[in-house]
Amino acid sequence: MAEQNVTVALDPAEPAPPSRGFLRTLAGASALRNSMLLLVLAGVWLFFYFATNGTFLTQRNLVLLALQTSIVSLAAISAVMLIVTRNFDLSVGSAVALVGVVLALLTVKHDVDPALGVLAAIAAGIAMGAWQGFWVTRIGVSSFIVTLAGMLYFRGISMIATNGATVAPLPRSLTGLATGFLPPAFSIGAILVATLGYASLRVAEIRRAHGLGILGRMPPAIFRAVAPAVLAALAAAWIASWQGIPYLVVLVAMCTFAAEFLMRRTRFGAQLYAIGGNPEAARLSGINLTRAIFWNFVIAGLGYGITGVALTARVSGAIGGSAGLFLELDAIAAAIIGGTSLSGGRGRVLGALVGALLMGSLNNGMSLMNVPTFYQDTARGIVLLLAVAIDQLSRRQSVRR
Amino acid sequence: MHGVGPVATAPVLVARGLTKRFPGVLALDDVGFAIRPGEIVALLGQNGAGKSTLIQIFAGAHPAGGYDGDLTLGGEPFRPSSVAEAEAAGVALVPQEVNVVPDLTIAENIALNDEPTRWGFIDIGERIRRAKAALADFGLDLDPALPMSALDLATQQLVVIARALAKRARLLILDEPTAALTENESRRLFERMRALKAKGVAIIFVSHRLGEVFAICDRIVVMRDGRIRGHHGIADISRRGVVDEMVGATGADEDTAPAGDSATGAVALELRNFNVFDSGGRRRVESLDLILRRGEVVGLFGLLGAGCIEAALAAYGAWPGRHEGAVLIDGKAATIAAPSEAVPLGLGLMAQDRRDCLIGDQSIADNIGIASLASISRLGILDIGAGRRRARDIAASIAIKTASIDAEVRTLSGGNQQKVQIARWLAASTRILIMIDPTRGVDVGARREIKRLWSELAARGHAILIASTDAEELVDACDRVVVMGHGRRVGELAARDLTEQKLLRMATDG
Repeated sequence: MAEQNVTVALDPAEPAPPSRGFLRTLAGASALRNSMLLLVLAGVWLFFYFATNGTFLTQRNLVLLALQTSIVSLAAISAVMLIVTRNFDLSVGSAVALVGVVLALLTVKHDVDPALGVLAAIAAGIAMGAWQGFWVTRIGVSSFIVTLAGMLYFRGISMIATNGATVAPLPRSLTGLATGFLPPAFSIGAILVATLGYASLRVAEIRRAHGLGILGRMPPAIFRAVAPAVLAALAAAWIASWQGIPYLVVLVAMCTFAAEFLMRRTRFGAQLYAIGGNPEAARLSGINLTRAIFWNFVIAGLGYGITGVALTARVSGAIGGSAGLFLELDAIAAAIIGGTSLSGGRGRVLGALVGALLMGSLNNGMSLMNVPTFYQDTARGIVLLLAVAIDQLSRRQSVRR
Repeated sequence: MHGVGPVATAPVLVARGLTKRFPGVLALDDVGFAIRPGEIVALLGQNGAGKSTLIQIFAGAHPAGGYDGDLTLGGEPFRPSSVAEAEAAGVALVPQEVNVVPDLTIAENIALNDEPTRWGFIDIGERIRRAKAALADFGLDLDPALPMSALDLATQQLVVIARALAKRARLLILDEPTAALTENESRRLFERMRALKAKGVAIIFVSHRLGEVFAICDRIVVMRDGRIRGHHGIADISRRGVVDEMVGATGADEDTAPAGDSATGAVALELRNFNVFDSGGRRRVESLDLILRRGEVVGLFGLLGAGCIEAALAAYGAWPGRHEGAVLIDGKAATIAAPSEAVPLGLGLMAQDRRDCLIGDQSIADNIGIASLASISRLGILDIGAGRRRARDIAASIAIKTASIDAEVRTLSGGNQQKVQIARWLAASTRILIMIDPTRGVDVGARREIKRLWSELAARGHAILIASTDAEELVDACDRVVVMGHGRRVGELAARDLTEQKLLRMATDG
């Protein structure tokens, strides 16, 4: 039997080929593509560091950058989850605006308790997601069309409900969510706990993989898995030592963790990757596509809710006409730069976060350099194109290898 | 057997010292090959033997320069860098999978990429004329203005072959052309092949059906592990000898028929007065009664359109139309409207086209786990270690040949992909396996192994229903075969009476 083993002859010392599903190789299968993106990000940061005489890499500016990126990051999380199943969401920007209108009308015009207002706004987001999911899964209209329509009428309803006027200011307890900071001591403690937790989980996983004989030598694998996290934690601790961590960034971190867990560690996530990889195969394997995709949209709706509340709190009011404008495109761009495949079945939330950070860095850095906005848009467009092109080229090369 | 004329002429295509490497695999190792005008040569070998690589090199799918060795066509050096270039030189390949554009008309499909033009615009009249000529030349009575999607799979295949023939090929390469054809259609294809042969066209014929090979070919070339292992005149070798040469063993054991005392198991699946309709409301299966017991391998045989595939899909909830009648699982009535309702009841399906069942870009482990995520998760949270361990153990237990369960499924051979599907249902503890044309496009050696696997599964108490349009794959695998014709049950054959001839006779009588 062994001598017929000619179809796949891999040297066991080589890293396993990247598989894209939920059981992907535990240690660093996607290292190549992730490190590529991180290298580009590092290059961009270095460039801005010199171009702004160091202003770009100050604690103060990095906190600002994190805040500026947070809204797109939140939207990008659900963009990844939908694109993985070959669905698009063009309605994010308008849906987020409508959530903001709900929140602002309730708390400003009707003096509803802020906590209740937030719950109602999130419920409204979920309802919008479920509504669109209904049209996609029960009626069978393509998600592109459903969400294109949603983009128009969610925006329209936002304008109708507010008569085109800004509803502000929000109660201070709400704006505090967006402007507040977790104190430095707390922040550093939290970073420490999170890093230790993450590292011990990864080490346990690698141990288990080693025990299964899937992995060769352990120490390099552990180093590869843990070193980036430790570096990131050190950087975060340094930034947090200035004023602490903004609540919004904590929110992004929690949502990312939840989404990553959902996508990579649950049955539901595995189903989503399978559906995106081959819908017919998923269906014939007994996966209920209708149900999975409906819930996919409901979760996107939860995303509208959270993003809408965060955005509205950040700008301290609802602006039906312009809140979240083009957010859907930024979110999709972040997801794509982060390695999510438009043809489905492949994509990671963490990647999208780095993608959002890259786009945000360009905005922030160019603003510091006083580059006019027209040039900023042009530069971002070119970066999007290049990022995807580099990804394609490197993937072709890794296939050749 | 050898015609005097063809043998005397110079070869149309000669290959010398062809060597082609893929990462980690030597696909072709110093292969020499020659074919003369008017010759039909069978190219045989198991999957992975190098057949596909060889014919793809001839057809320009692997550009010249990517391999060592040289080719001559009609005595001239032949270095095709693309399929179009090879076609222009007179070498046409008809691939195994039917590749058509379903929304275009037959004429548009035939003219695809070679549209007749006048002043830069497509000459529609000429396109229809050419299509008509191509179809008539092949004895196909079809309206070229029909959309391709209006044809069944077999007719589509014939149109694809007609298209290749229309290109005035000197060398025609047919890769498993009869896989989707009925007996009658195959006969028609063979007639055309003989007519082409008389005109001096050389034909390379790749098939796993040895009966056809011996009926139509002049010579047999057998490949194994990237090398040519034998050249034979058709009269100089037996079927048995060919199979032995492909498998690389001498005096290999014959397939053992599964044990006969199968009627003792409990009834696993029963269809009573089962009717299936297509989405247009037309009845495709009429009052079918069928019993499948544990430990049994039962065939459901019929020619294309006889209703056996429709019945099997409907029982699993995967048929797009409506169905009526009772489905009983372990004696209990069940309503199954979708595969997601069938799987929890212990049913599993292996569809006709592997690409419909496997996620090519995902790993073996993922593909094995996909139907049984519930059993490796608690409260919806996956135990990834347990999933991998299970996938690895099952893959090893049915001898899936791979270095790692992390290998992407599309890198596996057809037989191994089929095993990944079996592994998926083993992981899901499926008791009733429904398979549709399960060995389509699987080579002889792997067929043997897969059939052995079926009888092992049956012995362990699984019930297997094989819906098939290929009598050959049922004959030495089933305990009994239910035969269908025109949507109705027309008979049943027990294992001891089972022959291809009897099955075909029953199916065509009905």
